[in-house]
Amino acid sequence: MSDRVPANDYAEVFAAVAAREQEAASYVDILRVLVLRNITVEGLDTLLKHHLHSLRIRAEVTFGGYGTMVQDVLRPEGAAAATRPDLIVLALSLDEIDPTYGRPGWTADAARSELATLFRLLAERTHATVAVHTFLPPLWAEQGLLLDRGGRDLHSQVDVVNRYVVEMVRELAPRFVLVDLERLLRRLGADAALDSRGRYLWRAPFRRPLLDAWAHQLSRVVAALKGRAKKVLVLDCDNTLWGGVIGEDGLEGIALDPNQYPGRAYVDFQANVLHLAERGVLLALCSKNNEADVFQVLEQHPHCLLKRSHLSGWRVNWQDKASNIAELAEELNLGLDALVFVDDNQVECDLVAKMLPAVTTLQVPKKLPDLPPLLLASGLFDTLHVTNEDRARATLYQGEAQRKSERGAFADLDEYLASLRTVAEIHRARPGELARVAQLTQKTNQFNLTTRRYSEPEIGALAGADNAAVYSMTVHDRFGTLGLVGVLIARVEGTSARVDTFLISCRALGRRLEEVMAEFCLADLAAGRALRCWCAEYLPTAKNAQAADFWARRGFVETSRDASGIRYERDVAAAPSVLPDCVTICKD
Amino acid sequence: MTRADIEDKVLATLAALLNASRAELSPQSTRESLTAWDSLKHMHLVLALEEAFGIEFDDAEIASLTSVPGLVDAVAAKVEI
Repeated sequence: MSDRVPANDYAEVFAAVAAREQEAASYVDILRVLVLRNITVEGLDTLLKHHLHSLRIRAEVTFGGYGTMVQDVLRPEGAAAATRPDLIVLALSLDEIDPTYGRPGWTADAARSELATLFRLLAERTHATVAVHTFLPPLWAEQGLLLDRGGRDLHSQVDVVNRYVVEMVRELAPRFVLVDLERLLRRLGADAALDSRGRYLWRAPFRRPLLDAWAHQLSRVVAALKGRAKKVLVLDCDNTLWGGVIGEDGLEGIALDPNQYPGRAYVDFQANVLHLAERGVLLALCSKNNEADVFQVLEQHPHCLLKRSHLSGWRVNWQDKASNIAELAEELNLGLDALVFVDDNQVECDLVAKMLPAVTTLQVPKKLPDLPPLLLASGLFDTLHVTNEDRARATLYQGEAQRKSERGAFADLDEYLASLRTVAEIHRARPGELARVAQLTQKTNQFNLTTRRYSEPEIGALAGADNAAVYSMTVHDRFGTLGLVGVLIARVEGTSARVDTFLISCRALGRRLEEVMAEFCLADLAAGRALRCWCAEYLPTAKNAQAADFWARRGFVETSRDASGIRYERDVAAAPSVLPDCVTICKD
Repeated sequence: MTRADIEDKVLATLAALLNASRAELSPQSTRESLTAWDSLKHMHLVLALEEAFGIEFDDAEIASLTSVPGLVDAVAAKVEI
């Protein structure tokens, strides 16, 4: 994904995308994209497809008319109604929004109010995620060397528009996301990014490298929406976190001094790794070393930013790295495709790529100065928002390590589970929980009976609907809190109620919380309603096999089955199943 | 590069962009005779040919490049034959 299309190879990319469309027809994930624009950005569609193909997502891209953004959204037969987009991409130019742009005395006011109308319309009249962008200030200063004291120069006024755009995205996040064109321009340079001839001849101001960088950003938004964000960063140590080999060079000999090169590059890389940890990415080490040597660096090196307390797991030994990484995934209870592995050694990278193709493997760049931005540039860990659970996740997993170490001391699992003194708070999802509930529907793969992905506004709508109920489950035990880890969404249809969604976060599995939550919610919704029948379904995916027989084990009877899944029913009057007593339910 | 090479590449590029078979095109094809050759396709065609031949058309001539012979002439004038 991070691979940039090399310049001049666009003809090949366009041919490759066309050739792959047929294969893409079989992809399960489909994304409908509508580009609302007042400029020509054709080519963006193909480049977006190119990036999404590598995520096995098929995109259907439609372009709105030139300058008809509002009509495209409002008209009953407009592009928005016709395509029901999942993602709306804005591609706008200020001189098309306000024809007086660039003339003496121009101010941001008119453009800002046009944008305000458009943003409000998109927020209220669509359900799509909306990718907004910043505008590029002029390359040349119309006042030459002079600085306008009142900020009335064009650059300052474009900044006013951009500040407004950023403020609106902040307010409307995560439905609105920002593509910072100005940042893309800084990376690419004006010669590569902008086409003044194209701007005048075809209203096409952007060259393909800019469209490609834009498409790549959009593909990261889509990856986040589709729950593809990576969750764990597994790092090699020698020549990845620091220069040199700790086992040979010793604490004094490795390169990790911010006042010297190459130490400075490694310190910067570590700083970026910690930025990921702040967002909730779990960190782990996988290194061929003596464990004591590695922890000596983490605990005693004066410039090492990464500490033992940042780690959710490690394998520092002489075993092969593929086995070590597979063990780490199991320990963290996450699929291999949630992992990214970084190593400087080509052989290790190849081994892991070959043995564990689901793991994303990145090699330390040949040119060390390219190492610090490696992970940020990849966008692999990008999510649309960070919840409190994300920020605390590392702590949660550290609690899990402690729970596991105690497990060995008990005769059987129930005895162990009882000793955890687990309390499950189950209730209708509250306003402050909707973001986390939506996030769980987007990210949970393993114990997820239907794998339906919902956005926060969709969850909000369900929670507020008379004929639906959204339940959340928050769990804690004597080691600490696991956070909000369970979601059940039911839809009432006459005298039956259908379980639309039921999922438990992987970190709470194996504690019989599935049974507790399902039975509690079924009983709670039936209370005070004339319900006769519970309907449920299991829709298989590549990852949720462990949930396949859940409903059958809960006394549901299969009513039909086809390629898409199995449907079940259970009489509301049927005797309730016995609940495990290792979990205490707290209703408020 | 001969004139025939240029013509061949122009026709191949045009066919790919218009999603047409080579049989539907001829060395005499014009924008008038091909309805799919609209202004957007024209932009893509100009960019693709510039990329393929490593040349840049004059902004004033772009609008008049409305036939295969015209395109071949314009390219030939800019590349070493």
